[in-house]
Amino acid sequence: MSTLILVREKLHINKENALGYILLIPSIVIFAVFTFWPLFYTVYLSFFDWNMISPSKEFVGLRNYFDVLTDPRTYQILGNTFLYIVLLLVINCVVPYIFAFVIDVVLTRLKGFYKSAMFLPAFISLVVGSILFTWILNPVSGPLAIIFGWVGLEIPNWTKTEGWIIVVLSIITSWKVFGYNFILLYASINGISREIIENARMDNIPLWRIFLQIILPMSSATGIYVFIITIVQSLQYVFTPVKVVSQGGPDYASSNLIYHAYHEAFVVFRTGHSATISIITMALFLLLLFLEFKFVERRIYYEN
Amino acid sequence: MKKEIQFEHVKKSYGDTEVVKDLNFTIKEGERLILLGPSGCGKSTILRMIAGLENITDGNLYMNGEKMNHVPSGLRNVSMVFQNYALYPHMTVKQNIVYGLKVQKLPKQEMENRLNSVMEILQLRGLEDRLPKSLSGGQRQRVALARATVKRSDFFLLDEPLSNLDAQLRESARKELVKIHEMFNQTIVYVTHDQIEAMTFADRIALMYNGELQMLDTPDNVYHRPANVFTAKFIGSPSANILEADYRNGWVHTGNQAFEVNDSWKEHMNKQSFDDILFGIRPEHLELSTSPMSNGLEGRIKYIENLGKSCSIYLEADGQEMIAVSENGSWKQGQSVYVRPQSDRIHFFNKATEKSLGHPAERTETNQTIEERRVLV
Amino acid sequence: MKINRTAEVTWHIIFFAAVILLIFPIVYALGMSFKPLEDAYNNVLNIVPFQSTLENYITLFDTLPVLRITLNTFVIATVATIFKVVTAFLAAYAFVYFDFRGKNILYFVLISTIFIPFTVTMIPNYLIVSEMGLLDTVWGVILPQLADAVGIFLIRQSMKNIPLSLIEVARLDNTGHWKIMKDIVLPLVRPAVTSIGIWFFISTWNEFVWPVLIMKTTDNYTLPLALQMFISVEGGTNFTVAMAVSVVTMIVPLALYLTFQKYIIGTFTSSGIK
Repeated sequence: MSTLILVREKLHINKENALGYILLIPSIVIFAVFTFWPLFYTVYLSFFDWNMISPSKEFVGLRNYFDVLTDPRTYQILGNTFLYIVLLLVINCVVPYIFAFVIDVVLTRLKGFYKSAMFLPAFISLVVGSILFTWILNPVSGPLAIIFGWVGLEIPNWTKTEGWIIVVLSIITSWKVFGYNFILLYASINGISREIIENARMDNIPLWRIFLQIILPMSSATGIYVFIITIVQSLQYVFTPVKVVSQGGPDYASSNLIYHAYHEAFVVFRTGHSATISIITMALFLLLLFLEFKFVERRIYYEN
Repeated sequence: MKKEIQFEHVKKSYGDTEVVKDLNFTIKEGERLILLGPSGCGKSTILRMIAGLENITDGNLYMNGEKMNHVPSGLRNVSMVFQNYALYPHMTVKQNIVYGLKVQKLPKQEMENRLNSVMEILQLRGLEDRLPKSLSGGQRQRVALARATVKRSDFFLLDEPLSNLDAQLRESARKELVKIHEMFNQTIVYVTHDQIEAMTFADRIALMYNGELQMLDTPDNVYHRPANVFTAKFIGSPSANILEADYRNGWVHTGNQAFEVNDSWKEHMNKQSFDDILFGIRPEHLELSTSPMSNGLEGRIKYIENLGKSCSIYLEADGQEMIAVSENGSWKQGQSVYVRPQSDRIHFFNKATEKSLGHPAERTETNQTIEERRVLV
Repeated sequence: MKINRTAEVTWHIIFFAAVILLIFPIVYALGMSFKPLEDAYNNVLNIVPFQSTLENYITLFDTLPVLRITLNTFVIATVATIFKVVTAFLAAYAFVYFDFRGKNILYFVLISTIFIPFTVTMIPNYLIVSEMGLLDTVWGVILPQLADAVGIFLIRQSMKNIPLSLIEVARLDNTGHWKIMKDIVLPLVRPAVTSIGIWFFISTWNEFVWPVLIMKTTDNYTLPLALQMFISVEGGTNFTVAMAVSVVTMIVPLALYLTFQKYIIGTFTSSGIK
């Protein structure tokens, strides 16, 4: 066989696949310009001192990293971030998991109603959520304060109180995130064969055991996904209530790594610090993902 | 140019697993070739290579005498019926059938004519505007068949087209297929794992196992003159008995017993002796009796399976297991019986290669021509 | 499944409480937006506006170019949605129906961008938009939001549910890829694409970060940005007007959700993860 034919055959195959690349061009261009290049540029900026306006950037090597990592405020904000993560995980991972299980497996009525009602806030702006909860939870004249007043309880002045501010901002964020996670978990649990659950019921296995030993492992793929997006995305959602309600205050008590990066860049114009914090945040996310996969892999290994 | 499909050293592998090994054969113009074999034997892969849906790893595939290895599916002049029918769920019956013709920009009048004729043949009148989901299994199968037929392509490929139908529908669907073939005389390649479908529909059967072609011949020859142990055991139900034996001077020795073969076999075996060969006989070719027979083997009934019309009798002779069939229901478990292989129906295989040692000269029933067989279907 | 009556009732009480917690703020905003400010202050717990008035909405339209702001929000959401859905559809098609070198790595790289926090790309994107002279423009807000791999992920997922044999039948008829896309794949993934489009539309409608960074003049604001002007921890004198802005901001997402909820919940529950 002549090489010419071989070459032509090869070309033909490539021609078939060329369209595949063409279809990807718009996405690749968009991601290259607005995700990958910025990613590298942020790494670059983290080695410079710059105020975003001055025409020249000063190369400072690792000094930004040194500054950020020796600043006690960074650790305060890191602590805040972990508090947010724990609260968001409990409200948006543990609770919707149990809800989804009970609504799908245990209850027979009102399933559709619960699904649509709980998913609804996912479609509303978090700014709306922030403004509404700020009023509802107003410690003096808000509706909740009045109801609490009847039974002699008081709402703490959460906007001014360290700790409480994070709790309230987490609740506001959860208001939006909860339904989305709930729907994903519901779908996954709904996909588990009913025969398996019915079989367990016939063996008189209590519900909590069914949840922990059948539902949890069998929906673990979605469970892990929800766990990860809760950390990665909810933490970014928190930005909105922080920006709208507290601007990170009082005295950085409600700031997290995401808001702090914004604050450094667009409020005090220290792009070097901002870039450094963003890179550290991403590194932490990657570490979390890595630990999660390791942990999960071990679990799956034992299960099978 | 002849509407032939020719395989020349065709191989297919996925990574390290070879699913089709060195395939060499020709599918003749206008014939009904059945690719038969257990699941995973490579038969669907072969069909998909003909259709151009799978690349060929090595070797050449010719259709109409032209090399097809890298010709895209759409230019191969093939139509195909898929096991799941692959009907477009969002199109009506009519839209499903003419979609391919529209893509090929067939003149409107011609399209109408072809549509009308196929609707007639396959009794789809009145279903034109229904969606596939509102059709029964049999109707869906006919729509898939209609869609493949209107293309009037030279090659007609069917991938387990009847496996989702129940037994009664299968029979009528088979008749429809025959009708279509008689009208358009395409070259048909038909994949199935069902030997009854193969025996009743095929001009020739290509029996596949493990990616290798085991035998390619008419249904009669595949049944009566199996080329190897696999073919003998795969075709026929219950499966053929294969016993270890020695052949000496016209006598077959199985353990402590022996029987004599007829003269044509003696001639065929050429007065040679073979130690350690395999002797094969189909259950339906074993005579069964309670009293000793000449050339019979003694055995004991271990288990009886009643099938209504007949029973399968599992017995042990000389420490080897055998199955016989009998229409007589009076057999008892544990009973001592005698079995006699019909001398003109036996087979011998080489123990190491499992290949047939051949059969004596032509027998009458294998002389049927394709045309005669078609009358029978 | 059978459980005892008390347990069932207890669960329903818990879920009703959760639903009230989630829905109450929305209903509350609606009620308050129709109340005179004084009434709202004096009867905090009274959601139903007995002395209903349009005065808050009138004040709102007097103080802000509401129509202009709504139009901005609508344009940004529509353009971004169309871009994202179309590019995601094309990319998903390539990932499902083509085999080319580096396909899996490329897919992995694109999908992993879902897990990159926005602050990592925030400064450079701001600089890009600024360099392009798009600060304080609609395009400045749209462009950085287009890089979102969720659409590729979800559409690919629903395309993979189409039996491959449907595409193979079409290929045997020599149907080109554009025709297969238009006549077969698109109609079959239309429900998923529609819900994903609605989801994108609403997310962009509600987007806060990029309008905050890019938009400078009130005329160019989007609804969430305008709403932010009314935030005041103490409640402030504009409280009922703020409720009116909230209602204006919510009305489109709410209407879309209530109209398409079966569709949307269906897509999110059937496409699944992995």
